[in-house]
Amino acid sequence: MAQTGPPTNDRKRVKVYELRNNDWYDRGTGFCVGQMVNDEARIYVQSEEEPNRMLLETKVQKDDGYQKQQDTLIVWTEPNGIDMALSFQEAEGCAAIWEFVSDTQQRFTGIGPDDNLEDDVLDAFNPMLLPTPDLSNLQDIETMMRTANASPSGRDALAKFIMNKDVDYISKLVPLIEMAEDLESLPDLHRLCNIMKTLILLNDTAIVEFVVTDEVVLGVVGALEYDPDFPSHKANHRQYLSDESKFKEVVPIDDPEIKKKIHYTYRLQYLKDVVLARILDDPTFSVLNSLIFFHQVDIVQHLQSNQAFLSELFGVFGEEVTDQQRKKDAVHFIQQCCAVAKNLQAQARASLYQNFIQGGLFAVITFALRHRDASVRVAGTDVLVALIDHDPLMMRSQIFKAINEKTKPLTDTLIELLLVEVDLGVKAQMADAIKVLLDPTANTASVDTLSRTNSDFLAKMRANGGAQPLADNFIQNFYDESAKKLFQPLKDLEKRENMSNLTVQEISLYSHLVEVLCFFVRQHSFRSKYFILSEGLASRVAQLMACPEKHLKLGALRYFRTCIGLQDEFHNRQIISNKLFEPIFNIVFATMPKDNLLNSACLELFEFIKRENVKAIIIHLVETYRDQLKDINYVPTFQQLILRYDQLQGIQGADSTDTSFITQDGDLNSSAAANQLVRHNHAGHLVNGGGARWQGFKDTDADEDAYFDSVDNDNDNEKDDEDDEDELSLPTATPSMSKSITNSLAVQSNGSPTKHPLVSYPDDDNDDANTDLVPMDVLTASPGTPNNNLNSNVNDANPPSVASSSPESPSMSASAPTKRRREEDEEDELSKLAGMHKRRTSSLSSVHSMRTGSPESKAGPDEKSIGNGNSDKTQDQDEEVVADETKGAVREPNSIAGAAQHGHMLRRKASIKSGKDGGVHSNGKKIAISFAVKGRDRDPNAEVE
Amino acid sequence: MSELDKAIEQLRACRPIPEPQVRELCHKARELLIEEGNVVGVDAPVTICGDIHGQFHDLMELFRVGGDVPDTNYLFMGDFVDRGFYSLESFLLLLCLKVRYPDRITLIRGNHESRQITTVYGFYDECLRKYGSANVWRYCCEVFDYLALGALVTGAASNLPPSSAPFADPATAANMASDTSDVEIEILNSAGQITNRFPRQRRSPHQPQQQAPQPNSQPSSSSQDADVDDAPPPDSQATLSPSPSQSQGTNQLPSQTGAPGTSASSGARSQNDGGAILCVHGGLSPLIDTLDKIRLLDRKQEVPHEGAMCDLLWSDPDEIDGWGLSPRGAGFLFGSDIVKCFNHKNGLSMVARAHQLVMEGFKEMFEAEVVTVWSAPNYCYRCGNVAAILELGEDGSGGGYVPKSNGDVGRSLGLGGWEGPVNGEMRRMGGPGRRYRVFEAAPQDSRGMPAKKPVADYFL
Repeated sequence: MAQTGPPTNDRKRVKVYELRNNDWYDRGTGFCVGQMVNDEARIYVQSEEEPNRMLLETKVQKDDGYQKQQDTLIVWTEPNGIDMALSFQEAEGCAAIWEFVSDTQQRFTGIGPDDNLEDDVLDAFNPMLLPTPDLSNLQDIETMMRTANASPSGRDALAKFIMNKDVDYISKLVPLIEMAEDLESLPDLHRLCNIMKTLILLNDTAIVEFVVTDEVVLGVVGALEYDPDFPSHKANHRQYLSDESKFKEVVPIDDPEIKKKIHYTYRLQYLKDVVLARILDDPTFSVLNSLIFFHQVDIVQHLQSNQAFLSELFGVFGEEVTDQQRKKDAVHFIQQCCAVAKNLQAQARASLYQNFIQGGLFAVITFALRHRDASVRVAGTDVLVALIDHDPLMMRSQIFKAINEKTKPLTDTLIELLLVEVDLGVKAQMADAIKVLLDPTANTASVDTLSRTNSDFLAKMRANGGAQPLADNFIQNFYDESAKKLFQPLKDLEKRENMSNLTVQEISLYSHLVEVLCFFVRQHSFRSKYFILSEGLASRVAQLMACPEKHLKLGALRYFRTCIGLQDEFHNRQIISNKLFEPIFNIVFATMPKDNLLNSACLELFEFIKRENVKAIIIHLVETYRDQLKDINYVPTFQQLILRYDQLQGIQGADSTDTSFITQDGDLNSSAAANQLVRHNHAGHLVNGGGARWQGFKDTDADEDAYFDSVDNDNDNEKDDEDDEDELSLPTATPSMSKSITNSLAVQSNGSPTKHPLVSYPDDDNDDANTDLVPMDVLTASPGTPNNNLNSNVNDANPPSVASSSPESPSMSASAPTKRRREEDEEDELSKLAGMHKRRTSSLSSVHSMRTGSPESKAGPDEKSIGNGNSDKTQDQDEEVVADETKGAVREPNSIAGAAQHGHMLRRKASIKSGKDGGVHSNGKKIAISFAVKGRDRDPNAEVE
Repeated sequence: MSELDKAIEQLRACRPIPEPQVRELCHKARELLIEEGNVVGVDAPVTICGDIHGQFHDLMELFRVGGDVPDTNYLFMGDFVDRGFYSLESFLLLLCLKVRYPDRITLIRGNHESRQITTVYGFYDECLRKYGSANVWRYCCEVFDYLALGALVTGAASNLPPSSAPFADPATAANMASDTSDVEIEILNSAGQITNRFPRQRRSPHQPQQQAPQPNSQPSSSSQDADVDDAPPPDSQATLSPSPSQSQGTNQLPSQTGAPGTSASSGARSQNDGGAILCVHGGLSPLIDTLDKIRLLDRKQEVPHEGAMCDLLWSDPDEIDGWGLSPRGAGFLFGSDIVKCFNHKNGLSMVARAHQLVMEGFKEMFEAEVVTVWSAPNYCYRCGNVAAILELGEDGSGGGYVPKSNGDVGRSLGLGGWEGPVNGEMRRMGGPGRRYRVFEAAPQDSRGMPAKKPVADYFL
């Protein structure tokens, strides 16, 4: 059927972009042809790598939403509202396709169907005509523009007229500004400002591109200085933009085109942030953003492929160069490159970093980190963190290389600097960098990313990979070599008798160290355990609770909360045998019955122990501190702990009628199951992320067993049980997620029949409804949730949207591009965040969300798996919660609300988990709900925050 | 003049203070905030304010309308940052005032006081632009973690003292002024003139109120409605008049309260007039049935994606029964039955919250069991809304006053806003006397054009 039509059947190499969430997402590279099929003009792009795959198949529409930009770009909006762009390798290719599009459109105009004939004809025959502007007719022009602006066709005609080369309207407006200024004619200036605003907000790319060119930019922003909304004010945009000194050129950029683009980008940003900040609507906002994006792509592309430039740039750091200011500027320049690169596609970013590293980026980082000037140290850390974020594998192999070459690895540099850094901001950043570098889950994120970006890229990574147990080795090496140095100051506390005279620097250092330690405890379970034990760090952290600085006490307390939250006998034993509850009680006694943050944090800890029935600790607490506990009556928590203990004693050896108390075995099993869960998450990455990266798993566990066998001599039966459980389920962990989950379920339900499975099977809901008395009652009152899926509805309230947000939000927002920006923007939606750009933040959770939110991860072809990736993260970021969840299945009779809360959490989490399995479990229902939730996001009547 | 006063001076002029000073300020604030409970005790009189969102000049206008610190006590319900172009100056000024007058100003956390949210909605970028590094943002985020999650206002008068303010429209004055002894609600415009006044009604559950405040009767608001299509419709009839079905719901409430064995069964309630007012940024949580439960949270953390702490900062009231999914993806929607049950159980007369734009500046819902206060006029410099603050007077008679300081035990005991059962039904006295001061965006002469600060230097 397909008949090849007019000329343009040469294959043009092209990149296909799609606008998602104001970001241009790269759909791939391929070859573009324009063809007539059944009298319809169509554009096809065939994938370069998989010739069977079509990257794009679109019908040329007759409305002229097509624009040609910068000689190599064609941009248009699909009928479904998605903005698309084709970026051609060659200008000729672009011209050919553009000709094809224009021809088609002309045909439409000529022989278009009747219903729209009139409009088209009107447009074609009634082009906009404005009088040549002078000060006398500005008012008329303003009125005519306002009229034209009211209709879409008028806007189009106006834009066409303005950009007509023969008319060159904007250039004619520019001289009027100075004339009006000379005459001090404020009304004219206001009119000029209105005219300029109208022109820019026409949302025409060509106009926006034009107004930032050297010839007119000052005139344009000059007009915008006289905003009639602020009649008594005048901005000073011209002064600001004409100040040449703001542009720092460390190494001269030879290409005048690129240099121009740099200035244009800056002006576009200035327009966006300053001149138009208050009045920008959504379409103009995205026009500005796309222009900035495409400029940046070109700039980075040019810089990184320009060897002469790179060698000159990195040559600045050579010893023979003495200009310190130049070195500083060069660091800032590189920092800005990396910041720009964050917005680019992974591939472009990768080659930039690759070339930078070849040029000697690591030496620059080391230089920057040791610089006197804190701002340079900040820049150095920024670059470093950007690198780690981009590719932790690469960073680790670099550090390994350094270790093998017996040069000082970056980790050690970081540690040394953290210990001596005086700028508290930089110190915090370095602590963060250490955490990210040693985050074992960072690995998977980047593998995930790769699998979705580009296959040749993946292949490349595989080639230089084989490095899997790299992360493992890396962390092992860290504990062997560097950890002692890092935590030495904590260890030295042992000799310190007086805690009341800490310096500001010490306080800040200790809070970072404790925070890093918390992170390690969560992330590197067995290695950190051994390390903490052998260094006796738990007692040192406890020592910090004696200092007068309350926030430091709080940090120390949080360490213990983290340990206990892991429900790990190892930590519990260590805390018990060192009597580390002593200082915690000291805080309780010192603060009670006051209601303050410290006191609440203590209460939360004991509530957790009570709620989770952490037996070893309850026994220890009540047996050691019974009298003191009795006296703490201002909250019921402590009496309930005693009660719990008494019940425990009563229950042992005899069957209790109270089924909500679990037996010793059950408890163990559930914690073992919790451990497994944590691992299974990683296994989940394996399934999702693909590749051989996680085959090291089994080894890890073998390692862990070995550790416990050799190190933990007082291993009792409980420990052995736990290890047995590990082995039992391990073989299934790798091949299939579903199997292993089932397995862990089996283990669990063997252990304790009263417990709820970790995965929410449909029939759980009924059981739960019986247990969760209080909130469920309230929940049943909700009319919108039919009873049969009530539980899943309510309990899934958060996770589905968190999990589903990234696959859906891009298309959502793209489908409504004509909406005013505020409608979307002014609603706060947590879920939206997942689809947004994230920046480095200091909390672990945001590190995760940042990763999941980075452009390439949100934009994979398989949207479902992205959502799943996200939920993985949610789960991973807090192993504590995973453990909670397991234990949460244990119901307690006298704290129904607590139990309900856990049931709640349990099912929320469970739904995440099952979501992650990619449909292994029956969760169609939940997915459907999550879509419904998202659907409501766009309810035009939704109240904005 | 102390360093702090100088900093306040400088910030009042909308000029940021240097980074080391910010660090110092944040550390001082941290020491103060760590001593506050998750729910801070606040004594009336106090002026309750909603979202600010970095609209510095409008915050100045708020102080002009409501009185300056320390002459007026303030309670800000979070969302100081993001969206507006002066988040930094606004938050730092409030923080300075907190450090300078700790007993005069209370700050609680909003959902925007979070690392994740601020990186997306502007505060992070603003700090980066204004200081060139993220350090100041880090310091501020650290302070966010220490902010209280809510506040409990006690000792509020049930009636407003007769106010001497002039009436905006003398014609209506005659109608409204008839009964100055028992004023429940008074609405003032930004010029300090009374635009509306409502005497306390002895409300019966079966009789709709005779007269309800009609926020949309204010001249400023109705013209804006068409402009902003995503604002909630002004439905004061529906929200302020009890309907029979709602009072049916009230009947069922006691059966849902007081889970045995929890601290919820707080037992006896006094018959005081003025129950306490709970102030939170978002709303209620299904995990929190009593105020004491909030005490058991460790709040020093990034706002989680779920759980009680998240809900308090993210939830919204809605015209539903029970709990509902929130379209925001965090927190829940809660209906009037939930609020009534919660207020009854905790001896509250109302819940004051922010978090949602209301075109009229404030909106009472569910027979005034919940009020939304919004203090960012012309939100995002283009929504066209007016803003409001809520003044609660001090109970001079001492009748409803329960002395209480931060950290007292069992504060949910001994406060009650409920009468005993009348005709077999729970009846409510109505909330405290409330004076809403409505104000518009700061006159444009008082500031330059709102704009973000551009980056200073560029290499690329």
